[in-house]
Amino acid sequence: MTEIMIDAKNIVKDFKISKGLFRGKENLRAVDGVSLQVMRGEILAIVGESGCGKTTLAKILLGLLQQDSGSVELCGSKIEQIPRLELAKMVQPIFQDPYSSLNPRKSIGSIITLPMRIQGEKNSDVWMKKALQIMDLVGLPSRMFDQYPNQLSGGQRQRVAIARALINSPKIVICDEPTSALDVSVQSQILNLLNDLREELNLTYVIISHNLAVVEHMASRVAVMYFGEKVEESETDQLFSNPQHSYTKMLLSSILSPDPRQRIKKN
Amino acid sequence: MADQVLNVENLSIDIPLSGDILHAVDGISISVNKGETLCIVGESGCGKSLTSLAIMDLLPQKAIRTVDKLELNGTSIANHSDKQMSDIRGSKIGMIFQEPMTSLNPSFTVENQMVETLARHRNIRGKEAKKLAVEMLEKVGISPAKQRLKQYPHQLSGGLRQRVMIAMTLLCEPELIIADEPTTALDVTIQAQILELLARLQTDFNTGLILITHDLGVVAKIADRVAVMYAGQIVEEGSVYEIFDNPSHPYTRGLLSCIPVPGKIKRGEHLGSIPGMVPSLIGDFTECRFSGRWEESSDKDDEKIANLVSLEGIENAFLVHGTTDHIVRFCCDSCLKKSKSKISKGVN
Repeated sequence: MTEIMIDAKNIVKDFKISKGLFRGKENLRAVDGVSLQVMRGEILAIVGESGCGKTTLAKILLGLLQQDSGSVELCGSKIEQIPRLELAKMVQPIFQDPYSSLNPRKSIGSIITLPMRIQGEKNSDVWMKKALQIMDLVGLPSRMFDQYPNQLSGGQRQRVAIARALINSPKIVICDEPTSALDVSVQSQILNLLNDLREELNLTYVIISHNLAVVEHMASRVAVMYFGEKVEESETDQLFSNPQHSYTKMLLSSILSPDPRQRIKKN
Repeated sequence: MADQVLNVENLSIDIPLSGDILHAVDGISISVNKGETLCIVGESGCGKSLTSLAIMDLLPQKAIRTVDKLELNGTSIANHSDKQMSDIRGSKIGMIFQEPMTSLNPSFTVENQMVETLARHRNIRGKEAKKLAVEMLEKVGISPAKQRLKQYPHQLSGGLRQRVMIAMTLLCEPELIIADEPTTALDVTIQAQILELLARLQTDFNTGLILITHDLGVVAKIADRVAVMYAGQIVEEGSVYEIFDNPSHPYTRGLLSCIPVPGKIKRGEHLGSIPGMVPSLIGDFTECRFSGRWEESSDKDDEKIANLVSLEGIENAFLVHGTTDHIVRFCCDSCLKKSKSKISKGVN
């Protein structure tokens, strides 16, 4: 269990923001010297407010963005040196909005099997078999193979996104707000599914979320980001019982617990 | 009741589709008193937003609204003309929507928009209007208010924009505020601030508030009374303590078991869930709205069984434990049977 899956050191990412037609560019530091280590089988959560750089960091870990300085190693090799197809086999994303992350013109079957076809699997029987297997695993009925995303509910679409991410048996899955577009009853189904799959397939998750209750339920370790920097990182229980940074304290105090006894006092 | 701000009885909304009818809302009744917060919770598509639009007569044109009673402060507004309604909206009923960026006009300054509201509804213009606008911005915690007045919506952050929206809503001192998911688009830290602000201002102004949300955490924080909606009907209604302490409809219980609560459920353990899917509301209902959504009940659920007293006049509606402020309603007989509730025939 001590195998290091993700080893990120001192990641910095700048974006150039145009200030106007003739006024040159301004530098915006989205991620400022963040280091992370994720062990095999672990669930690391990254929390922080919108614009604090958590999605940029996720994109760097996925190889979708190149960091300006610092290094990322996945399973022991530098991310720049991993060929694209190999990288896709190693790490896969699940995005926030299942309404925009699935191509509306492709059938569910074709969405789920696309990663296999890209990896060069030519035998359509193999696709079919593997796709039905994975659909069963994530709880999608096989009759949906020929349906289209618009015929599915939000929860089912998120299951399709999960099936697509898992079909090539990746080692790491990066979930960017995996449930924030879903209803609570569906959210609980997806969280249960993610937990089951992790045990079954020995996955490592990085979960990005602003919902601290979800983080507390899922993650073994939590990193708190604030204005591009990692301000605190510790075991989940420790973070929730003994937060150190003032921003973490503020985050924790703003959790809305479903207990009417903690409501804003009136009268 | 003298201090009742809004009274809606038997509201239904039908939306004709090609060849069929979507029964989006099916006979719901709600009321709000002065200074009271009613939260309507439910999953997407259960009709909670349409209900709020129906109260303000802002439904899409082809939607058909039928209602037995729609009273604002004791006066019926069910048959008001468009012009009459437009006088009421903004002055007597205030609205706060989910995404403050789309509900503010991007090409006018905050001042333009606030002063326009005052001119339209209260006939206050010029310096006095500006003074009132500054005062109201200060009340919602915006400083420096004078500088903010000159800014455009895109220069404000999400939380500030929502504060401006709230300030605009309060300018005409409405009797009722309808807030549809007011904090969903905001960060958690900002969300807590906005909820506190809403609660404080509502008490100060003694306004009735209908807050629509899908987040039970928000409900627990701010509600006095809660209505749980499912598939176009209110399945359970009661005081916030009753709903969280004695949820009596299996759907409410299911919803409460779905949310992870720090410290309550062990990490990695399964959260509760509601099996199946929300039924399609197109066409007439022949079967139960909850078919396929009942958890196989285990023995330990027995202790949760509610004592129900039937309520006269409404089919399958019951008072829970005989308390008058907690009503649960089942959609059909089979639902009622499956819930295994104990029924005693009581007086109303």
